[in-house]
Amino acid sequence: MWTPRLSTATHDLWRFLVDRAREVQARRVRHRELRAKYSPEARGLKLLREWLSPEQREQFNAEGYFDVIGCHSRKKYRIRYGSSANIDELNDAGVPRMGWCFVPNIHLVAGDVMLAQKIALETNERDALAAANRFPRALPQASPSTRSRSRGF
Amino acid sequence: MATQIVMDHTGDTRHQFDADDIKALAAAERRFKELTFAGFTAAVRTSSGQTRLARTFDPTAEETLFYPRLVGG
Repeated sequence: MWTPRLSTATHDLWRFLVDRAREVQARRVRHRELRAKYSPEARGLKLLREWLSPEQREQFNAEGYFDVIGCHSRKKYRIRYGSSANIDELNDAGVPRMGWCFVPNIHLVAGDVMLAQKIALETNERDALAAANRFPRALPQASPSTRSRSRGF
Repeated sequence: MATQIVMDHTGDTRHQFDADDIKALAAAERRFKELTFAGFTAAVRTSSGQTRLARTFDPTAEETLFYPRLVGG
């Protein structure tokens, strides 16, 4: 007579514990999602997307970079995802010929850095490049054997 | 509501104000001057989606973005 009652009580207790554990897990997942949504990185990317032109936004979503036209030289620059050494000056064929690096003087997330770089090149290219460091981008062609050894992303 | 967006370590901080409220407008102008004096650059997005630099406070700007001074990396 006691055995079935005990079994039912154990079963109920077990179900109660499983339900509570599921609730806690769901709450944890929601918390993690909210944190990711409102993290500085996510906020930076959201702000960047808000300020990109529709074409730039589409390009960034598809390729992880976007192109801007310098306001003074009318040269084309490619801003890649990142927060340093992430700007390429493109030649007429769209091939990177020079790298440029300029960043905000305080630590910012990548989205903010890229937005500041975009606005600087589109509205005040001369001053931005005057502050920037440049580096060669045209690397010698790697031989097929070297390419096969290199690590891909 | 007009918005001033300041880039910072949290991503950004947004200050919204009613451009028809004289006190709020004065506070926004004060913030503009403080930030630009501290080395921030102000940029405004026009209705056509173009971005332009704002050297002086524009009370009609819907959205003004402030980013820190840029230096060689």
